[in-house]
This record gives sequence, C-alpha cells and structure tokens, in this order.
Amino acid sequence: MLWLALVFPEWPLQARFRTRDSTQALAVSQGQRVIALDAHALAQGVRVGQRLADALALAPDLIIRSRAPAAETAALKDAAGCALHFTPRVSLDDDALLLELSGSLKLFGGLDRLLRTLQRTLAAAGFESISACAPTPRAARWLALGKPGQRVRYLAGLPGALAALPLEVTGAEERVLLALRDAGLRTLGELTVLPRSALALRDAGPLLTLIDQALGHRPDLRVDYLAPPRLDSRIELPVPRQDVDVLLFTASRLFNAACTQLAAAQSGIGACTLELEHERQPATVLTLRTGQPTRDPRVLAGLTREHLARIALPAPVAALRLRATDWLLMPGRSRDLFGAQAPSTSETRAAAALLVERLRARLGHDAVHALSGSADPRPEHAQKPVEPGTARPGQARPRRPLWLLAEPEALAERDGQPWRHGPLRCLEDSERIEAGWWDGPDAPGSADEALRDYRIAIGPRQEVLWIYRDHRPPHRWYLHGVFG
Amino acid sequence: MKHRNAALAPVLQQRTDIWAANDLPDAAQPGIPSGHPALDAELPGGGWPVGEMTEVLSDCQGHGEMSLLLPWMATASRREGWLVWVAPPARPHLPALAAAGLYTPRLLVIDADRPAERVWALRQTLESGACSGLAGWLHKADTAMLRRLQLAARATTLPLLLFRPVDDRHLPSPAGLRLQLSPGPEHSLRVDILKRRGRPASQPLYLRTRPFGAPTTPLPPAAARSIRRPALTLIA
Repeated sequence: MLWLALVFPEWPLQARFRTRDSTQALAVSQGQRVIALDAHALAQGVRVGQRLADALALAPDLIIRSRAPAAETAALKDAAGCALHFTPRVSLDDDALLLELSGSLKLFGGLDRLLRTLQRTLAAAGFESISACAPTPRAARWLALGKPGQRVRYLAGLPGALAALPLEVTGAEERVLLALRDAGLRTLGELTVLPRSALALRDAGPLLTLIDQALGHRPDLRVDYLAPPRLDSRIELPVPRQDVDVLLFTASRLFNAACTQLAAAQSGIGACTLELEHERQPATVLTLRTGQPTRDPRVLAGLTREHLARIALPAPVAALRLRATDWLLMPGRSRDLFGAQAPSTSETRAAAALLVERLRARLGHDAVHALSGSADPRPEHAQKPVEPGTARPGQARPRRPLWLLAEPEALAERDGQPWRHGPLRCLEDSERIEAGWWDGPDAPGSADEALRDYRIAIGPRQEVLWIYRDHRPPHRWYLHGVFG
Repeated sequence: MKHRNAALAPVLQQRTDIWAANDLPDAAQPGIPSGHPALDAELPGGGWPVGEMTEVLSDCQGHGEMSLLLPWMATASRREGWLVWVAPPARPHLPALAAAGLYTPRLLVIDADRPAERVWALRQTLESGACSGLAGWLHKADTAMLRRLQLAARATTLPLLLFRPVDDRHLPSPAGLRLQLSPGPEHSLRVDILKRRGRPASQPLYLRTRPFGAPTTPLPPAAARSIRRPALTLIA
C-alpha cells in the first residue's frame, strides 16, 4: 500500500477563490477570527487566529469573507474528481485528499512522474497542494503537514520518520495537546517511548489509537469517493471583475477541473452552462454547445471567448459557475501498431461539427447554414438553407447560373429588348418554366406560380445574365441570376 | 526544367550553368490542379498553391469568375469535411453547382457582414482542420487582416482563395498569387497573373470556364504561346 496525502494549505481560502495570490490582501474568517489568509495579508502582519478588528487595523484594505463550508466540500469533491484520474481509490479527509497509488505507479511511469503530473493537473484546476507518501493513510497526512515532500515506502521506516513530527499534526484536541506540552512532550517520538498506561492517564488514549493507526498496528479503513456523473463547480472572484481575460482565466480553471473529471470517467459533454453571477443582478448564462462530445478544455475556453466577445456584461462578475449534467460516454481509440493516431473520419466529423458551433457562437445561429436541394422546378425553390449535415444533394441542371438573386430584379425595356446599363443581347435558346400552380391560396394565378421564359443574356460589360420574361401581363423582363 | 523546344531541351539539361528565365521554381510545393490545364501551366507548383493565400481580383459578377474554382471545388467536395464559402455575393444556385460536379451537401455557407468577421470566420475554418475547400469574399480588408489570414493559411495544406475587388490591386498584399479577372472575347475569362512566386507572367490567359456558348471563333492564339519566350525581367 502506498498512500499519498494531498493537503491544501489555507483551504477555506483556496476552496472559494482557487487562488492564493490575488491582487489584494484576502482573508477568510470564522466567528470574528481569521482562519485563512493569502500572502499579501501575511506580509501585512495578519496571522491565523487573529481577531478581525486587529487584522483590519493591520491591513485596512483587507477583504474578509466569512467561511462557507458548503463551498469547501464542493471544491474538495472537485479536487477528488480530478484525482480520480490517477487512481480509483481516493478518499476525502477534512481539507485533504488521500490517494492509494500502488496500483497506478506503473501506468504513470513511476512515483516521481505521477506526482509531477498530479501536481500539474491540480494546479491547472486552481488547487495548490503539499503532499507526502507513506504506507498508511494517517501517517501520510501527518507527514504532509509536518514534513511536506517526505516519502516513506515501507512500514519499517515509519516510526523513524514520524518521530520528529510535532504533536500538532495529529489534529488531536487542544486540551490534550496542552496537557502533553505541559508535561514537556513536543514530538511524536517523545510520546511513543512512554508507557501506554501513563499516557492514558493524561487523556491521551484516543491519541494513542491514532498513532497505532499511523504506524499500521491498527486497521484504518477509508471510504472510496465515488464521483457522481455531473458537474457543478463554482469559483468566486475576490473582487468583482468585468475584463474578459480575468474571466477567461478563472473559467479555464473550471474547464480544466471539469475535463479531468470527465477524462477519469471516460466521458465527454455535448453542452454545459457557464453562469456569470453578478452581485445584484440575475446571472448571465452562457450555454456552450460543442456539437460533439468533448473533454478538451481548450474547446470550451474557445467557445467562451467567442460568447464573451459577443455579449455585453450588465455588471462586474462576482462568481463563475459551471454546470454540466448530461455526460456522454466517450470510449478511447486504439493506437495503431506504431503508436500513431492519424485523424480518423469520425475525428474530421467531430471537427466539422465543432466548426459550425464555433462560427455560430459568434456570428449567430442563422449565419451558418448548408443548402439542401429539392425537386421543385422553380429556381428560387431549388435550394433552401438547412441545418448543416442534413442537406440533400441538388438536382443537376445544365445551363443554370451559379448565383441567384434573392428577388428577381425588374428590368427596363427599350425597343422591345431588355435593358440593364445598356442593351442585353439574348442567346438563341430559352428554357420555359411553368410551375408552382399547386402553391398559394388561390392557385392558379397566385404570386408563387412561375410562368416564365428564361434566356441567357449578355450585358454591355460582357457579363452573362439569366433573365426571364413573365408570361402574365405586363410581360416584363426580370433578372434572376448571374453566371458567376 | 520544362522546355517546349525539343531540340534545345537536351542541351539545356546538360548545362547546369544555364538558368532559363522562363523556368518556374521547382521548389514550389505541388499545387492542387485547378482543372484548367492552361492555368496550371502558369502557376508555380502546377495548380492552386497549397498553404498559401491566393487573391482573385474581379469587379463584376457574370464573367465566369467563380466557375474558375468549380473544378477544384468539385474535387474537394468528394472528401470528408466542409466546403466553406464565406460571404458569397449572392445565393448559390444548387442545380448549377450539381451540374459542375459538386457534392452540394458538403457546402457550408457563412454569412458575415463586416470584414473583421469574415476574416475571423476564414481563420476559424482554416484552423479547424474540418474543411476540404475554402473560398471567401472580402472587401475593405486591411493588410494586418490579410497577413493574419496568410499565417493561418500557411499552417494548413489547403489553398485559400479570396475574392477581392479590382480597386484593391494597388494595395500591398501578402498573398503569394494574385490573379485579375476580366471578360475576354466570346464569353471567355481573361486572367492576368499580377503576382506569383518566381518569374512574373507576361501574357494574359484566356479560359473558357463556363460550359455553354459554343465558341464561334477561336480564342486568342494558343499556338503562338507554345514557345515561351523568356520574360523581359531583370533580376537584380
């Protein structure tokens, strides 16, 4: 067994803002006392445990938020979801995660590589952690708190490694710790050499149980975290902001966390909503549609950028919330013999669907369309805009113009000949189209009915046009198409 | 080296110290055949340049300018991916496209008004890797936009065909190939190659790009051009 403990320093702060280096001093309070703070606040003399009044006296522009336990739980589950990418055995432990890694070492190329990848993945999602490894979960946690970076691979090495740790890492009751400190005991090593009966007298019985668990003398059972197949994570901004770059940066942390969780579940999402919460207004909701199931954070970030470029935010954004409920299974694809992955037909299709969504995100839904053919003989009905991917092929007809005018343009007539910036010279043959009598309210004779003689005509600038003469009085000439 | 003069060719091939001014650079990446052999012969790489921006300058609809691209578009539409037209000047008429051999369900039409939006759409399309052919209509595009497009095109294996108004021919452009189109005699299309990689072109081409109007008189002599003279170019 090899347990890795990931402890998140200043967790009440990290969990809400996913950052420890904002531009302003920041602290989280509980019951009029500071319980977590960032580097700016620390530099100005604020300390954990200080009264809020004292902290504000030291740092007048300190931003104080009260503790939100629900946000901390949600963020820890987010981090656990990311960790599930590395091992199926992840358990939650207050402000820390415990991962059982012995089964994953080979897959990720050894402990060093695994830890680096894990650290990078969590950092991309906005989590900063310190870690340590040990054969028991409790020892791993204590080591992470007392000696970050320590790695103990075997049980035999544990007593020596734990001996130097201060008693505070055990998280025992303050009353018990005080009693032991009064007795001159400061480290775990000093505690373990004493007779057990003597310690039990000093109310340290529960502490002994913990030490036994840490050393592997007693069982320490952990419950594996099972991630639900939905996403709902939220990051607050310390100061409401409106600039796109800040919002995109924060959103990218949400996307990175989400996509790692999706990868762990072999899934993807086709749509998700990003809510931009304002302080005193209803949230601005962006619906991101990817067309194809995806778990690529760059795709989601790209779509968000397009949305943000198009809309005007009514107010600064105080928090971002990402929600995705419908997870779709995305099975992996095998590599070929040489390890290469040439883009497959399905990948081109995925890219094709994504392109349509990306263009629509900025230009609007109707600006992007395909053309579907129909058998209607009327030229204006021979094609209609449809949803890309659902178009049917058109019927080929010879001697037809490439471009069709949206509305036929009425032409002037001089000496019985059509005229457009000059006389139009018609070629010999013509095409008669009499159709559409089945349409319209009082057919025949309705406006939709076409009774036309089409000719190909050459204009004064040598342009080739497609014109027709209406059968119905007043038998006018119309320009309908251009041979582009 | 390609030479039409049969007697001279072997001599010239032996001499490595002679550079023929009518040679187009061999190093050019093979282009995609345009479907017009006369045009391909004049284009470096023997077709539409790949990974390069090509500008087609034309002023007036109706001279067969879009038909110039149709053979290539028809081939491209046989492959997986979109055939993208960004901001075409009018509504495409499917029966004509189908008659030219295009598989029209792959055609994707994008409407965009502002030049910046058109350029953005073109770049997105180039970068998506989901497109087999691309043509765009641009006006009032500034040099920075064109340069961005050229950079985006360079990363792909597609030709990028841009239609621009003739008035823009005097503006500098990063495009590797610039063609100006105007009407020729007998419904033909006159193609002036304003700029290409290698030797500048000296003569316009006359192409018959549309399937109708059987020629009553032959086009300006093709035979006279069969022996290509070196262009009068000084390369400093």
